[in-house]
Amino acid sequence: MSGLEERRRWLSIARRPGVRFAFLVAPGALFILIALVLPLLSIVVFSFWRTQSYELYADWNLNNYRALLGEPAYRIFFLRSLFTAAIVSFVSLAIAWPVAYLIAKHGGRYRLLLVLLLAAPFFTGVILRITALQGLFGPIGVINMALNMFGMGPIGVLMYTQFAAGIGLVYLYVPFMITAIYLSLVNFNFELLEVAKINGAHPWRAFIEITWPLNWIGTVIGLVLVFIPCLASAVTQRFLGGPQATSFGMSLSLQFGETGTWALGSAMGVFLFLASLIVILAAGRSINLKRSGFTGALDR
Amino acid sequence: MPQPVLRLHSIVKRFCTVTAVDRVDLTIERGEFFALLGPSGSGKTTLLRIIAGLELPDLGTVEISGRNVTHLPPYARHIGMVFQNFLLFPHKTAAENIVFPLRMQRLPRAARDERLAWAMKLMRLQGLEDRYPNEMSGGQQQRVALARGLISRPALLLLDEPLANLDRELRSEMEVEIRRYQKELEIPFVYVTHNQEEALTMSDRIAVMRNGGFEQVGAKTEIYTNPATVFVAGFVGHANRFEARLVEFNGELARIEWKGTSMLVPRPRDATPGAAIQFAIKYEDLEVARGVNGFDPTNRNWLTGRLRDVIFKGQTANYIVVLEDGTDIVVSGDPHGLDLKPADSVVVHWPITRGNCFEL
Repeated sequence: MSGLEERRRWLSIARRPGVRFAFLVAPGALFILIALVLPLLSIVVFSFWRTQSYELYADWNLNNYRALLGEPAYRIFFLRSLFTAAIVSFVSLAIAWPVAYLIAKHGGRYRLLLVLLLAAPFFTGVILRITALQGLFGPIGVINMALNMFGMGPIGVLMYTQFAAGIGLVYLYVPFMITAIYLSLVNFNFELLEVAKINGAHPWRAFIEITWPLNWIGTVIGLVLVFIPCLASAVTQRFLGGPQATSFGMSLSLQFGETGTWALGSAMGVFLFLASLIVILAAGRSINLKRSGFTGALDR
Repeated sequence: MPQPVLRLHSIVKRFCTVTAVDRVDLTIERGEFFALLGPSGSGKTTLLRIIAGLELPDLGTVEISGRNVTHLPPYARHIGMVFQNFLLFPHKTAAENIVFPLRMQRLPRAARDERLAWAMKLMRLQGLEDRYPNEMSGGQQQRVALARGLISRPALLLLDEPLANLDRELRSEMEVEIRRYQKELEIPFVYVTHNQEEALTMSDRIAVMRNGGFEQVGAKTEIYTNPATVFVAGFVGHANRFEARLVEFNGELARIEWKGTSMLVPRPRDATPGAAIQFAIKYEDLEVARGVNGFDPTNRNWLTGRLRDVIFKGQTANYIVVLEDGTDIVVSGDPHGLDLKPADSVVVHWPITRGNCFEL
């Protein structure tokens, strides 16, 4: 009798909306807590500690941040990464828009196949792909070897320069941009362009007035998906960039590897996290849902 | 003689093996409300898209206000268009949608605002300027679409089934409204519809389309009362149809024989006695009576049968009569005047001058 009472009581608690919500949210929240928040918190904690001879000491100080902001090398690395990420994002944008537009509008029944082909590079690892580019651009790479055969000198700008690293980054991240813009365009009603044209808009005007604003969310997502990994990127620069291309990410990974200065590395990580956060917030602010043609209910 | 606003000269459009538009000629005058009426797949929307410049005809020319625009893109034609699914720009407010054509024409802001106020008033949209399309009802969205189509006072307004997505009540309200705008602005409208009531209510002239060609073009009363072909007779209005044999001519009339019954009907165009013909007569041209003594039979045809059902339609009622051989005939009549019950035996009769006869 009392067992039944007990069960009823528990059931009625479980049916409360708040409890139900908690049950639904719990798995995701737990995952984020363990996989993201806790490691991040530990990084934040480490960033205020001290490393000596590859050991972490818990004496709280701000020296890591002082070094990070005070030493010109880090500033240069960061600005270089920022600049690279910006250029790579915009180059990717310029490549991705026409490709995504072509697939979405004229891909017909091959649309899905074409988009899935964008995943082809991911069949191999990042390192392998970058090494392949190295084999293409390097002094004894395919391009310069071929030039050599015809008696021409190698293209210097492709050999271990920031430019080469930039090409590598565009190659690595442009599929994300294309996918983001494509997904936006498949939901775009191309008939609206006919309406714009009938109402007197030239094709480029119709693009600016209709296509671009209605696909802004996809574009922003693409920009973020390219910009943020580029900001933190280390491997590409290391393989393709040569000595002049040391990035913030490269320097950061050195702190956790060769130099063993975990505390400084953590401070760099926190800095990178904050920079990315600012980028995401700015991107989010640029989106006015109504002006993006969002058709769901907003505040009703 | 003023220029016609629109002149189509033997337009042909094929999609692969299908001929969507087949040698169409058409002239539309200033201030005319013209309806393109046809079942789906008859090519009416393709024809409209050719006029708009959204499709290029394979053959033929399109002239708007005397200018050959066949190869001009839509934005160089100075026309307006209203679509079935409204197609408002979802990221622009009602006012921004409406002034879009004026912005494309680079009209100064003051002139734009003045025209906007005029259009909002005409369409009774005041107060909705800052609403986004998803914050408006279907009828409001359709009025915004109409305002956008009309605000630049185009040479021609094309309407592609603009009321098909609205509910019935709103539709009949909008039918009257749209005709009012057309008459006030004197802009010719080309109105595509598969709905004969819409075409009959709103237009001055109708072209009935079938398989990419025009079956008949004419004033709406002409189309309704004197259909030129069997197809038009069946598509416009509601008609009973009899497949009969032509016996002989009798002045302006013809004697036909249908299942052993002899009837006098209006003379068919170019048919010879003995030919198979179809006689079509509209529901409302028929009358129903209790018995042979219930009406004066001079100059009338009549058939006897049994009432099967009365379908009340409001202003009228459809009396469904089963003839002795089992054929159903529908008579549209006064819903209150006759005190008839199902299974009563009745007579269906009509004047010999009514109905239309076609050679098959």
